[in-house]
Amino acid sequence: MANPFNLPMVRRSLRNLVSRPATRRYPTEIRPRFAGARGTLEFDVETCNYCMLCARRCPAAAITVNREARTWAIEQLTCIACGVCVDVCAKKSLTMLVTSRAVHTHAEVGPQGQRPGHEEWHSADPAVAAATAATTKAAEGAAG
Amino acid sequence: MKRTVIPMGPQHPVLPEPLVLDLILEDEKVVDAVPTIGYIHRGLEMMVERVEYTEMGFVVERICGICSFMHGMGYCVSLETMMNIEVPERARWLRLIWAEISRIQSHLLWLGLGADAFGFENLFMHCWRMREEVLDIFEKTTGGRIIHSVNRIGGVKRDVSDTELAAILVRLQDLGQAFKATAEVFGSDPSIAHRLGGVGVLSAEGALAAAAVGPMARASGIATDTRLNGANLYDQIEFQPVVENAGDCLARVVVRLREIDQSIDIVRQAIDKMPKGEGQPLEIKPRGNPQGEVFTRLEQPRGEVLYYVKANGTKYLERFRARTPTFANIPAMIQLVKGCDLADVPNIILTIDPCISCTER
Repeated sequence: MANPFNLPMVRRSLRNLVSRPATRRYPTEIRPRFAGARGTLEFDVETCNYCMLCARRCPAAAITVNREARTWAIEQLTCIACGVCVDVCAKKSLTMLVTSRAVHTHAEVGPQGQRPGHEEWHSADPAVAAATAATTKAAEGAAG
Repeated sequence: MKRTVIPMGPQHPVLPEPLVLDLILEDEKVVDAVPTIGYIHRGLEMMVERVEYTEMGFVVERICGICSFMHGMGYCVSLETMMNIEVPERARWLRLIWAEISRIQSHLLWLGLGADAFGFENLFMHCWRMREEVLDIFEKTTGGRIIHSVNRIGGVKRDVSDTELAAILVRLQDLGQAFKATAEVFGSDPSIAHRLGGVGVLSAEGALAAAAVGPMARASGIATDTRLNGANLYDQIEFQPVVENAGDCLARVVVRLREIDQSIDIVRQAIDKMPKGEGQPLEIKPRGNPQGEVFTRLEQPRGEVLYYVKANGTKYLERFRARTPTFANIPAMIQLVKGCDLADVPNIILTIDPCISCTER
């Protein structure tokens, strides 16, 4: 039978009374994420060559790339931040942020009123943009 | 005597996860218990049919948030065995180190939950404070606290520098020293001894008959440990399975306490023995598609886990199955619950370290 007067927890608790707290004063004091932590995926539209490798290798199928229209899109709420796309990207267009960036979770908050977590980039090349606009117009004309 | 049926779970203050037990009582004594599982079945194993085998590892490690590293490792080892891939040595050692650190993390988590279950919230906080430090090590080395995503078929994704490994070892050893004070509370506090001592005694014969695994079997005096088969470099590590003979709830706590020290020692040996220097190969890319079938056994924090993978030469596997340690321990738990008081049921359930999300996948 254990000794009823042996109370190691009392000793620990007394020591804790005078020691520094183990927690931080969140949110005024935030622990920085470690280098190499996986947060949110960032895309650089300038360097992407729309090879579609990231979209093919994404385990969560969060990335969609349209080579003809030169668009790159990600569902941030589907992304599991595994980092496979960053590894396979030959042009280094993708980077994994150390911190988690907020993504809009309501359709009305999205820049173009799109669905929650959806982020889309269009090629900045004016020739490509004009061609895309012309294709869209032609498609609309055919439909109309 | 009139019998009462008390449904326990899927929501119950003591249960971290939805296990369901229909307890059949005579007065305060439990005479029978009927377990039901299937409340959080997610059909992860079925996903092999539409997720490519190279990407399935990310799904497999999401089976469970506590042993996610070992699940990922088990899947990758299975595929490597099937495809005859020789994994670079440093990658194998890194896997072993991460696996042992995840054992420390899991045991600290469980000790906290166990303390919470028998009403010792202060102790729960102490255990989880230490677990935070272990999770920090994971975030630093793998990039994720819970889901590590470092295992790839053919190796690991990230290297850990030798200086960082040395720092990790120092930190773990400091942690082990600091943990001694907490372990002393578990081992000698009279209220814990009163609450857990002699409760839910599983004899060695009972453990063998119910095919208990892991700390559950080791607390009943059976020296079973999958690591003893020497796979995954454990043949180069000197260790003896931690065995206690009492078989009660307290013994199951003590086994886990001692395994934390043992894991720290295994990490020390691994850091000593692994090939030094950065820039070594860590990953060999798999070529072609797997064909055949393979079984893999690993010692997870909760006990032996078994993976079965069957492939048919396409990029989609035909069958993947994991038999998790909790599933193996449920029959032993039912044996223990029979004949105990209703008030002891939560402790008995907790001491098998149930992981229902593993069990149901």
